[in-house]
Amino acid sequence: MNKYEKGALGAVALMLLAAGAIFFFAPTDALQGPVQRIFYLHVSSAIAAYGCFAVVLLGGAIYLRNESLAADRLARAGAVVGLVFTTVCLVMGMLWAKPIWGTFWTWDARLTSTLVLWIIYAGYLLVRRLAEPGRQAARFAAVVGIFGFVDVPVVHFSVTWWRTVHPGPIIVNDALPPEMLATFFFTMACTLVLAAVMIAIRYRLEMLADGPVTAAAIHAQVVSAPREPEPVP
Amino acid sequence: MSNTIAVALAVARKDLRAEWRTRELVPALAQFVVLALVIANFGFQIDSRNAPMIAPGVLWMALVFAGLVAFGRTFAAEREQASLEAMLMTPASPVAIFAGKALAATLLLVGCEAVLLPALTLFFGTPLSVPIIAAVLLATIGMAALGCLFAAMVARVRARELLLPLLTLPLWIPFIVAGGQAVQVAMGASGTYDQALALLIDFDILFVVLTSLAARFVLDE
Repeated sequence: MNKYEKGALGAVALMLLAAGAIFFFAPTDALQGPVQRIFYLHVSSAIAAYGCFAVVLLGGAIYLRNESLAADRLARAGAVVGLVFTTVCLVMGMLWAKPIWGTFWTWDARLTSTLVLWIIYAGYLLVRRLAEPGRQAARFAAVVGIFGFVDVPVVHFSVTWWRTVHPGPIIVNDALPPEMLATFFFTMACTLVLAAVMIAIRYRLEMLADGPVTAAAIHAQVVSAPREPEPVP
Repeated sequence: MSNTIAVALAVARKDLRAEWRTRELVPALAQFVVLALVIANFGFQIDSRNAPMIAPGVLWMALVFAGLVAFGRTFAAEREQASLEAMLMTPASPVAIFAGKALAATLLLVGCEAVLLPALTLFFGTPLSVPIIAAVLLATIGMAALGCLFAAMVARVRARELLLPLLTLPLWIPFIVAGGQAVQVAMGASGTYDQALALLIDFDILFVVLTSLAARFVLDE
């Protein structure tokens, strides 16, 4: 068993423990009933997603500075994992919203900006796929990653003047009983460990996919490669 | 600095002259936006009562898609003739070249707006006032900066027609939100116009600065 398999096993075990805490330790919400238990993983995966996209931003910025292949791989790994957690967050939020708000979706500031986040990083992965692999893909994706990260708070801010129905920040407001708070922080920690392990495994995959190349080799290949001829219409 | 501005103006002049000689893009865009209004009329069953409610939305939809076509075309011509590489080989800085292309694209889109806004007034009966023009022009600046950056990027990528809207539209949302709010208020809805306009200016500054920083990495590739 190598260290990646050990890490994956550990992360899954932690998530099972978190599930135990969510279902057996945390008390049932007086108003919302069992549906409220979605909250723990929903908010945790949102935080994990933001963390992953911060990794994309950081990796992209470092790549633009010094063309470090490792930074680019880290950004690639962060984008894929972040997209997974954003999907989890959106789907669980919708499942919660149906019984509580009576609808799966509403154009609330937070929902809108999360959906935009999802679309931007789906576009990021598309750029990676469509651009010429190597320097071009890495540079273009870094730019998309940086703009995406800037755009999300801007979208959030620009739609906040609309009426918002999303529950406010209850954690900082000290509105949760201690058992719920403990469950939340435990779930969040487990989710962040899971995200870190997923990024590490994805990083390893990207490294294997890249093959034994150095940044200098990729650079030389791009600089000397002939231009792809334009298809004749 | 003055050299950068001179290069940008020269590139913009070149693009505008090319457009003036062929007269391809602006007439096509003008026809496109009028067509968009016709389609909206059938889609929404416009009459005199619901027109002020729907007109702002139609305005932004038409503008967004006309913008995508316009910005896509700015770099398409350069790509077809491989003239961007020639420009990049000159001592001119990539940022100046990008600024010139963005400036020209902005002016071409403004030309298209000069058809869109009167046509909207004509067909939908909405007012054509200074607040509406100001909001549309302010949104155009930021949209052009972002649109040109990603147009420059997708010009070198496969499936470029597909990728440009996917990358650009999410980043345009802040402009459409603020601009949409401003135009709705200017057309009679309740809300604050000044706040929306201030936001548009903030977004313009933010994205013009960001795109000018990023242009080097996109063009110099």
